[in-house]
Amino acid sequence: MISREEVLQLALLARLKLDDKEVAGLQKDISGILEYVGQISAVQPQGETFLSDSKDSPFGSRNVMREDSPRADGDTMAGKEEALRTAFPKKENNYNVVRKIIQKDE
Amino acid sequence: MANLNKLTITEAGKKLAAGEITSVQLVDACLAEIEKRNPSLNAYLEVFADVREQAQKADARRAAGESHPLLGIPLAVKDNILIEGRRAGAASKILENYVASYDATVIKKLKDAGAVFIGRTNMDEFAHGSSTENSAYGPTKNPHDESRVPGGSSGGSAAAVAAHMALGALGTDTGGSVREPASFCGVVGLKPTYGAVSRSGLIAMGSSLDQAGPLARTVEDAELIFNAIRGNDPLDSTSIENKGPTLAQGSQGRTLKIGVPRKLLEKGIDADVLQQFEKSLDTLRAKGYEVVDIELPLAGLALAVYYVIMPAEVSANLARFDGVRYGLSLKGESLIDDYAKTRGDGFGAEVRRRIMLGTYVLSSGYYDAYYGKATAARAQLAREVAGVLENVCLIATPTTTTPAAKLGEKTDDPLAMYLMDIFTVTANLTGNPAISVPMGTVTREGKELPAGLQLTAAHGDEQSLFVAGKLLQ
Repeated sequence: MISREEVLQLALLARLKLDDKEVAGLQKDISGILEYVGQISAVQPQGETFLSDSKDSPFGSRNVMREDSPRADGDTMAGKEEALRTAFPKKENNYNVVRKIIQKDE
Repeated sequence: MANLNKLTITEAGKKLAAGEITSVQLVDACLAEIEKRNPSLNAYLEVFADVREQAQKADARRAAGESHPLLGIPLAVKDNILIEGRRAGAASKILENYVASYDATVIKKLKDAGAVFIGRTNMDEFAHGSSTENSAYGPTKNPHDESRVPGGSSGGSAAAVAAHMALGALGTDTGGSVREPASFCGVVGLKPTYGAVSRSGLIAMGSSLDQAGPLARTVEDAELIFNAIRGNDPLDSTSIENKGPTLAQGSQGRTLKIGVPRKLLEKGIDADVLQQFEKSLDTLRAKGYEVVDIELPLAGLALAVYYVIMPAEVSANLARFDGVRYGLSLKGESLIDDYAKTRGDGFGAEVRRRIMLGTYVLSSGYYDAYYGKATAARAQLAREVAGVLENVCLIATPTTTTPAAKLGEKTDDPLAMYLMDIFTVTANLTGNPAISVPMGTVTREGKELPAGLQLTAAHGDEQSLFVAGKLLQ
């Protein structure tokens, strides 16, 4: 069973605050699910992985990068600044107010 | 006029074109039904205040000479699809008052066609679930038996259509979330070929798995909605033009052969569901299809592969919900604590579970064993399915192993809930299009509960799904 420390470490990586009851519950749940999905270790793949652009991929992968220039139909987010600002949890003079990150002179 | 909400989209379209009815009348009929049934079904999280106005505009467009099969047709929209200026929350507290700043491409296309949006429908939070019990706003009930779930995660959309509170609906399908509720609610649900429909403006769950798809009462109606929302979109670089079956798939000659993976059906399926399945196969045989046995050796592992890849993608996609630019924003004792508190409080238990699982399979030391292996297995499964579809044009299974469960029946056991997806996840992993079509009902405690037949076709071959689906109606 996955340890309490491991669950707490995952919670830190995932930026999730969990109470003790949930941590214990997740130890159980994650262990159970990992046991189920562990079946995949038996698979012996005989070809390229999914996202390769090998020519015999059934999906005919292709390069969709375009020129870094403005699109003919314009900027779809033009005029939406107000809507974006309305969503800011805390505003001041049209700026999104966030926590100060750099605390010391470094 | 009574019962206009019981018309199909096809029938309503004809009557609208002939001037026999107006969109306002259609909408009024839906609103009347919503008033009657939504309080107990909880299919809609919000009915838009301006529905009648939208309908009036549609009627005006028709009077001005416009026509489209969806002009003036009232549709329900799942709460994870953005409509500019309207709330969208993926049924989560973390997005409780979020107002969309732009239209999803599918919405833009439906607006161009003149469809009317009745409201946003309930779903499992962030589409994490198969029963709509994970919504932060209470579950939706199955219109056929209100003690049972409608399925999920597009349960609200399926229930709205089944209960005639809309003529059609949009849902999203990542592991079966359009097809499974369609099966439980007795309606048609389509998951298009991956890339056939733009994902721009959908609140992302698993970006290599998600597709928006229609729920409707008939295959013709689902086809109409699909044709309106499909198409390559510069805003979604995974979208494709999807003009038809790709040459390599070999189903262009429409071989009229259906493959059934018998080994997968040997156990775990309710006997009467299997019976309905066999009856449907008989119907298709009578209409000229040959039904053959096929082997899909890896399909038994598809669910395991899915429950590695999907949580991994979820953990990445849900990282954006941190209370900085939008949504719930709680203050902790430090920046990391702000994030942890906001996300800990704002996300529901199942969402947190999947993020944690995804974080695990992507973390250093486990990445290759889980995510790496799952990705390779996925490619192998896709090759397997493609191989089978060179000899048959459709793969058939029941959509689910049982009819709808009772509310609360599976909520204590996450794995039991995950197993509901056992037949549906393959199509999301491989990108193939798949449809669930009603195949009659089975009886549980005196109530008739719908069951669905799932058909899967080659990439780009939605046509084969529609042809066969229509024969089963």
